[in-house]
Amino acid sequence: MTMQEGTGTAPEPDQAVEQKIQKLRELYADAPEVGKRALENVLRKDATSFVGKPRTRMESAGRVGSRQGRVSELTLIAPFVEGGAERLRAFLQLRDGNFDDTDRVGTVHDMRFVFLDNDTKLLFCTAYDDEWDPYIDDFATKIPDELDLFMCNCVGWPGTRSPSVKDWIAKYQIAADGWYVANPDLTVAETRRLNRVGHALEEFLDKISD
Amino acid sequence: MPLVDRLGGDLPRAPVTVELDDIQATVLRYRPEPYYGTHVMLHVEDAQAGREFVQRLTPYVDSAADWWQAGDVWTSIAISSTGLVALGLPEDSLRSFPEAFRVGMAARADKLRDYGPNDPTNWDRPFGTGEIHIAVSIFSDTEDKWRRAMETAGQQYQGFSGVTVMLMRDFGAQPGDLNPLGYKDSIGQPAIEGCGVDSLPGQGPPIKAGEFILGYPGEAGVPLPMPLPDVLGRNGTFVGLRNYQARVGTFNRFLREHAQTEQERELLAAKLVGRWRSGAPLTLAPTQDDPALGADARRNNDFTYAADPHGRQVPLGSHMRRMNPRDTKMALLADVNLHRIIRRSTTYGAPYDPDATSEQDDEVARGTYFIFLSAKAMATMEFLQQEWINNGNFMDLGDERDPNVGLQEDGATFTIPQHPVRRRIHGIQTFNVLRGGEYFFMPSLSALRWIGELRHSSGHADERAEPS
Repeated sequence: MTMQEGTGTAPEPDQAVEQKIQKLRELYADAPEVGKRALENVLRKDATSFVGKPRTRMESAGRVGSRQGRVSELTLIAPFVEGGAERLRAFLQLRDGNFDDTDRVGTVHDMRFVFLDNDTKLLFCTAYDDEWDPYIDDFATKIPDELDLFMCNCVGWPGTRSPSVKDWIAKYQIAADGWYVANPDLTVAETRRLNRVGHALEEFLDKISD
Repeated sequence: MPLVDRLGGDLPRAPVTVELDDIQATVLRYRPEPYYGTHVMLHVEDAQAGREFVQRLTPYVDSAADWWQAGDVWTSIAISSTGLVALGLPEDSLRSFPEAFRVGMAARADKLRDYGPNDPTNWDRPFGTGEIHIAVSIFSDTEDKWRRAMETAGQQYQGFSGVTVMLMRDFGAQPGDLNPLGYKDSIGQPAIEGCGVDSLPGQGPPIKAGEFILGYPGEAGVPLPMPLPDVLGRNGTFVGLRNYQARVGTFNRFLREHAQTEQERELLAAKLVGRWRSGAPLTLAPTQDDPALGADARRNNDFTYAADPHGRQVPLGSHMRRMNPRDTKMALLADVNLHRIIRRSTTYGAPYDPDATSEQDDEVARGTYFIFLSAKAMATMEFLQQEWINNGNFMDLGDERDPNVGLQEDGATFTIPQHPVRRRIHGIQTFNVLRGGEYFFMPSLSALRWIGELRHSSGHADERAEPS
């Protein structure tokens, strides 16, 4: 449930949807044959499964980025400094998939680090709960070195403790045009809680069925 | 009674490293017990007259020097963003204030989650209109001293053309100093480094002065951004004021619906807040109120949650635990020291009536000016409103909200952990409704003198103050 519930935009009137479909047809007229055929096939089927009415209104997350329900996306492309890609790759290899220290942040669903264009740029994507802005000061006193170790490899990273760190992120952040979340109401904390409740319930059922 | 006497003369001292004699008394002096006073909200029509008023009143504004042994009666001045404009501060000074302060609390309603009944369109005028420029507050421990201080302050603005009174709100004088819902309040205060007094029992390690007073390093090791010039920003702080109308009828009905006996009702009331009416914390008095404990400043805040991780004594969602989680293991990474506030709230209107249960009782003039001070009061209040008040995620409580100042939606719940099965109360209501709010800057005494001595109107390059 979002705070802004009730102020969402009304569903598009049918006419506007028709216009969008018409525009899509025009654009796909120039698409490869396989795409043209696919569009007609899809439109012949039940278009209500993807047109217009998202379960949760897509809204903005902080200054940049999109949000579905409680879950927000952050996509960032920033150039590496000299030697930055090498350092970051070595650090990630050392971790070898171990991100236990990220667990305690409690809001991060996932993170990915992708090296682009011959190791000249970093693509960083993450899904996280609500907004990160309110917690940036907490990161600056609780986990500044952990963040700096990653991000110092990008051009101009001012340091987690710097007041300009929010501006740096906004500068390299790109809002996603599409953003899908299977369970937009489930935060990381809530998912963990439901997991615990589920286990407890199974245990309880085991006991009474013995 | 000064703080040192409330503690029975047993005050842990620490070195003074901040300029107490330049900082306004309200920043450090605890609210008197008992307390009386008035907030006067003024509008400045003429910049020159406004500055002259500030200049005339400044000698009566008390400093925080020896704050632990002073404190019977004092006067403070705070200025809103529109007030700084009305007083003709230089453009580059005005621009140096944080965005949230400049646009004002009403314009930040979205960030503060002030929706529905709390929306600024429902506020009492003149809150949120930009017409409140200067807030003069008088705190006193006796009615007599309060009246005399009011007379002195009044002499500075009465019949003074160019400055008009928008609103006068007497406060305090409540039986037992209870708030409008019948609780002793403002007990938990942060310990602040460098202010002369070491941590009081239960306060935890002192927090860096820069979190509360501008010009000193904060918890991250660096000073927070400060308004310019230096003389204006240094030793000042920001004040947030939120005017809550208490819905006493709704509150009493809720207690009656969910508890049968008076004893059960009082326990439920304590579970909502984390303290009994007397101020005694549930941690130290888990089953019944202990008024002697509540009244004892040496003991009533001296506890941690180490033995209560699941909230079976103090519910994780109770007001006290949300506003200061202390050593609670939270679901989200947060630094408790970054979100503390100095609290100087004042209660006004009719005292709490335990028998009031009607809808009309919700509208009897009775409420709280929730007043908080911090070097980043705006950011802190937005954090608290978003994360710790109108959210339950950080305590693993889903959508549950603060039972005291949270804005409850239909069907909202409040969870009381207990063994073997928790109790979950459905249909908790909004007990305090927001009817106004403002941000103010509380300048140092030297900044007040600097403002009083400004002689030019703003906006021209040749009249700008020297940047620091």
